[in-house]
Amino acid sequence: MENQTAEVLVLGGGPGGYTAAFRAADLGQRVVLVDREPALGGVCLNVGCIPSKALLHAAKVIAETKEMSENGITFGTPAIDLDKLRAWKEGVVRRLTGGLAGLAKQRKVTTIRGYGRFTSPHQLQVELAEGGTTTVGFEQAIIAAGSEALTLPFIPAADPRVIDSTGALELSEIPGRLLVIGGGIIGLEMATVYHELGAKITVVELLDQLIPGTDKDLISPLAKRITRAYENIYVKTKVTGVQAGPEGLTVSFDGPQAPATDTFDRILVAVGRSPNGKLIGAEQAGVAVDDRGFIAVSKQMRTNVEHIFAIGDIVGQPMLAHKAMHEGKVAAEVIAGKNSFFDARAIPSVAYTDPEVAWAGVTENEARAAGVTYGKGVFPWAASGRSLTLGRSEGLTKVLFDADSGRIIGCGITGPNAGDLIAEAVLAIEMGADAADIALSIHPHPTLSETVALAAEAFEGTITDLYLPRK
Amino acid sequence: MAAATEVSVPDLGDFAEVPVIEIHVAAGDVVSAEDPLVTLESDKASMDIPSPAAGTVRELRVKVGDLVSRGSAILLLDTGGADVEPPPLTDQQEPPSQDAADPVAAAREPAARSASAAAVPAPADGPPVTAVEAGSPDGFEGAHAGPGVRRLARELGLDLSALSGTGPKGRITKEDVIAGVRGPAAPPAGAGAGVAAGGGIPEVPAQDFSKFGPVEVRPLTRIQRLSGPALHRSWLNVPHVTHDDEADITGLDAYRTELDAAAKTEGYRVTLLAFLMKASVSALREFPKFNSSLTPEKDALIYKSYYHLGIAVDTPEGLVVPVIRDVDRKGITELSRELGAVSARAREGKLDLADLQGACFTISSLGGIGGTGFTPIVNAPEVAILGVVRSKMTPVWDGSAFVPRLMLPVSLSYDHRVIDGALAARFARYLCHLLGDVRRLVL
Repeated sequence: MENQTAEVLVLGGGPGGYTAAFRAADLGQRVVLVDREPALGGVCLNVGCIPSKALLHAAKVIAETKEMSENGITFGTPAIDLDKLRAWKEGVVRRLTGGLAGLAKQRKVTTIRGYGRFTSPHQLQVELAEGGTTTVGFEQAIIAAGSEALTLPFIPAADPRVIDSTGALELSEIPGRLLVIGGGIIGLEMATVYHELGAKITVVELLDQLIPGTDKDLISPLAKRITRAYENIYVKTKVTGVQAGPEGLTVSFDGPQAPATDTFDRILVAVGRSPNGKLIGAEQAGVAVDDRGFIAVSKQMRTNVEHIFAIGDIVGQPMLAHKAMHEGKVAAEVIAGKNSFFDARAIPSVAYTDPEVAWAGVTENEARAAGVTYGKGVFPWAASGRSLTLGRSEGLTKVLFDADSGRIIGCGITGPNAGDLIAEAVLAIEMGADAADIALSIHPHPTLSETVALAAEAFEGTITDLYLPRK
Repeated sequence: MAAATEVSVPDLGDFAEVPVIEIHVAAGDVVSAEDPLVTLESDKASMDIPSPAAGTVRELRVKVGDLVSRGSAILLLDTGGADVEPPPLTDQQEPPSQDAADPVAAAREPAARSASAAAVPAPADGPPVTAVEAGSPDGFEGAHAGPGVRRLARELGLDLSALSGTGPKGRITKEDVIAGVRGPAAPPAGAGAGVAAGGGIPEVPAQDFSKFGPVEVRPLTRIQRLSGPALHRSWLNVPHVTHDDEADITGLDAYRTELDAAAKTEGYRVTLLAFLMKASVSALREFPKFNSSLTPEKDALIYKSYYHLGIAVDTPEGLVVPVIRDVDRKGITELSRELGAVSARAREGKLDLADLQGACFTISSLGGIGGTGFTPIVNAPEVAILGVVRSKMTPVWDGSAFVPRLMLPVSLSYDHRVIDGALAARFARYLCHLLGDVRRLVL
């Protein structure tokens, strides 16, 4: 391949990278996008958000058909054709990544497949997937090289029975007993899938609750449901060793409820993700990378090197596609001469578990820690007609308001479709809405979206769907 | 891309308005990349500005003595098609490629630099990430405005934190932003931050103390009303440092006691202050910088060949600083008599304006009251002030035993623009050395 030049080089074709590349191209820049995977879309599209959502949909269908047996409709035990399920999932992914390739082409973004490393502040060398190398000379660059799953040193990584989220999504088999190490979003989503596909699930989490850091009241409906459904959930528990044997993987635990050892057919390691800052030759470009592999950036996504920007997982938490996409737009716009800043007031997080858990803005834990005085409106879904007609009653919607300004500062939702409902709260936070603005906006009835307005009414004291004693 | 490239002062650290002290090239000279073009001198060091590329000097834009800052044009360089590497940002940067045919090099046209510079409206200060967008309105934290309005404000360079909204509940609307840009009251981008950080010092908010208990308002005395602003001015204008030392005045005090006993019969007193004045004059002679003042332009020092000392005197009306003139030409007896007289007039409020003018250096003695040390405020435009507190009998190790010595703590505050720490330490040591043996004072 001939050496290339670019006005803007984007390293990494995940959601942040392709968004940055497309935005820069739309603003008139000549863009080269370098990505090591065969298809654009990064972890999110290929081995993350999208395939996991396809499998979670399958899990949900199984769960709902089971639940309906109590309400008069009984299905037979589902026959699971793993190959077909996998093919469907891969089809979804292919359709999306193919769409991206088309979008790149329409914008005349040059895509190079291979592993890129900086060799100077204006050059990137790419080990091409097709073999050989090429060099890309660039005026400005956007680093969007993402993150990869953390591994645990004491776990035999070479054993095919030890998998990370990518391995779990490959769906090569349904194990009899699956140990999920890490009770965060990724671990619990994959547990949801494998549980419905028939595996017996054990979840082990080092800290004192599932999805650590999130308000306990939001996690508790999920914890209650999966504690009943799964074999074991061990919190405050450490995995101290894994012994691979022909019968299975024998795991030693250190925790209040956990046995000393237990044997599993597979282990899913989901203990977090580590940024790829140290893997891209950043030092050759003069870009500062910290000990953990993060690259510090300004609110304009600029690194310490004036013409090199960085976005997404590699610049810090939260490692979320939607954060990366917005950062990518900021970087592209700044390069094109616009005075853009990443100034989001809320970045939503969603666990696509059953029930879903979603939150945005300030959590109660954070507000308490920061000494913010806040008011709160909570609406339990047991009083939501729509939730009950879905056969579910455990959810809740909680909205936090600043005590001085009265404006919404945070929201947490647990229940089916919480991830879709949280978007209204993000808009309200960005627009500086107060409880009355939300409560007086007419929400369609009967929907789950009503619960946001009803939580605001509960805070205001105007709610009639609940009886709350006067404050 | 042939044609001339303007070479400007790169970001070499925190400096501005530094003089060009040497120019190494002339128009027509052929230079290679990294050849020194000019030398600048900052307060810390001199530094060469290297050529960013090979080429021919077409035109010089500076001359020796010019003051330059980051971005100032140095010269026009005819690169004749060779690529121009931007000024080095890091050590790791490759030396510039000379191969014009190299496709990689073509990507490094100087135009890329100007494009990237245009992307940053605020002066970019290079590596420290926090400094890059300093002065730009960023999150408009607390401003009641949605994301679309925040973006518009940024595009138009308007600081939303300085704007009040006309929308429902005070929300800032797009119309408010447009009106804010058009209106006469529109502050330039970043103006809010500039005011807070620079010129205006925030007032201490008024408080109604009577809410907390009975109070009474008494006007400041005339002296307090005059000295207050002067002290405030000195405090704000002079970068102060205070250096502490101590003098062994055992011998000096014995001598002073003898003189004082004799003086009492003649109706005056001999205090330590007279000795401090003589020692100070000797030290000022030894270290003339302490007897200087900065010019108003702050680019030169004015050295004084006279020795008038200000003496801080506590009066019922407040602090006054009468001046004893020509201390170098007066002996201990004469100084003691004059001190007695001027202090008496100060306490009676009978000092003339002339009594208060012309000091080179000031002494503030709190020895009559006590204390172990303090940080006197330099009486600008003087550049130093000596503070002394009460001397104290202290066990001092003489090499074989602890011996009781009368030690006098001294605190020397100075203007760090004029005097550096080492010089202050030497001055203080010299002064203490003189006080340590009264015979040295007559040398």
